[in-house]
Amino acid sequence: MLAEPFMQRALLAAALLGPVCGLLGVFVTARRMAFFSDTVAHASLTGVAVAFLFSFAEPALPMIGVSLLVAGLMIWLREHTRLLNDTIMALLLSGSVAVGTVLLSRAQGYRGELQRALFGDVLAVGPLELALAAGLLGLVGLAGRWRLNALALASAHEELAAVSGVRVRWLNYGFVLLLTLAVTVSVRLVGILLVGALLVIPAAAARNVARSLRQELLLAGAFGLLAGVAGIAASWTWELPCGPAIVLVCLACFGLTLAAAPAVDRLRGRR
Amino acid sequence: MIPAVNEPVIEACGVTVRLGGRPVLTDVGLRVAAGEFVALIGPNGAGKTTLLRCLLGVQPLERGGVRLFGGTDPARVHARVGYVPQRLAVERGFHLTVREFLALRAPGAGGWFWRPRRRTDALLPPVVAELGADRLLDAPVAALSGGQLQRVLIAFSLLTGPELLLLDEPTAGVDAPGEQTFYELISDIHRRHRLTVVLVSHDLSLVHRHATWVCALNGRVCCEGRPDEVIRDDALRAAFGLQVTSCTHLRQRHGHAG
Repeated sequence: MLAEPFMQRALLAAALLGPVCGLLGVFVTARRMAFFSDTVAHASLTGVAVAFLFSFAEPALPMIGVSLLVAGLMIWLREHTRLLNDTIMALLLSGSVAVGTVLLSRAQGYRGELQRALFGDVLAVGPLELALAAGLLGLVGLAGRWRLNALALASAHEELAAVSGVRVRWLNYGFVLLLTLAVTVSVRLVGILLVGALLVIPAAAARNVARSLRQELLLAGAFGLLAGVAGIAASWTWELPCGPAIVLVCLACFGLTLAAAPAVDRLRGRR
Repeated sequence: MIPAVNEPVIEACGVTVRLGGRPVLTDVGLRVAAGEFVALIGPNGAGKTTLLRCLLGVQPLERGGVRLFGGTDPARVHARVGYVPQRLAVERGFHLTVREFLALRAPGAGGWFWRPRRRTDALLPPVVAELGADRLLDAPVAALSGGQLQRVLIAFSLLTGPELLLLDEPTAGVDAPGEQTFYELISDIHRRHRLTVVLVSHDLSLVHRHATWVCALNGRVCCEGRPDEVIRDDALRAAFGLQVTSCTHLRQRHGHAG
């Protein structure tokens, strides 16, 4: 498996993106932003269509561009209209899928590209995706070092964070930027339909057994890493599509932690 | 530093706020001297919480201005201001413990993620133990009862040793005996820490017992004065919307702006 350069890239990308998504997922679920990440993921379909129609060498760039545009539009609509968050996201999610599908339908042989975009592909991970994944892990590390307290406080109570000196608006913009980049880069590996699972399930699995935010972050990062690496290995071994394989490992982590939670609680009680 | 007596800690002047096109506060003024315990009372929708948000600098004003400790930028005085919100809507699965929550603001405890729990505990200021929040350090914030959460929120608000404490209906969701205990606790803190306190409340009997000054709002300041002057039938009628001008003389008599 490791002799193949595309598998080396896919494994490395999964090892970098798994912890990124796991860590961000803790705050995505705490801030109820799972639908947001689904919306930016679906928006990247329009990016795929643009890349396919205009023969972009690196599809990741138009995908990131379109996803950032849609994320920006979501924020603008939230701040300048009276529409509810769910309405805004449903509007943009269905709108971007419609635009992406119409654009793709104008091109010959789009079905293969559509399937790759929806379910992910190990072959889609090139040097650019790998560099972006490494950059993202670095950014998440820096954000964790310098902004963890602000993010945790804003996730608990935004006004309390603002009164404590946190610039909540800019913090939220930064988090949205990081999340949009993580989702869009992960889409190449896991696919539009399943990328939300890589954010939500490791965090949910961590919650089954964690009893503090520190434990939750550490476990979510570890489950993300495990799901990424084991999912790619399973995909190679049993010739499975890589996105679903990664998600199945995530689900296995969730099931195991759910079953182990009572025993973990008993052990804690004895100490 | 405790401000000199009578130097205003809060000066709000002509505060006007519209929310969704509807006027919520019109030309509201409030002047709070150091060491006072001010209660903001009024019916639902009177703008009490909005006024508190204006004082905190998180509510944009249509007109008017707010000065805290003589300055107009709330970001410059955040360490001198403690805030107790009504509640924390922490998602049930977000396992933020009380220890971690307090460490988010406690001076010097910011690196809690990398530190053993005992070392973080040692860095929490004595006010945490003083309020009994030290017994709750391992508990998740999302699982606290109403009374426990209030203690933790007060401890959080006092971490930086503030001079001004703002509380937004802090006893919402707390039972009657808990409410009584809570007010006694706030009074005690007010006295011992020599704080200026501004509190939004519905409970007139507790306000009467503990506040040193009462401001009755109903979109504008209807009347203000000492509790026994304001908590009277005619004054309350004014505050709660039946008659609006009856207590203006109290404000003039005490020389308060508004």
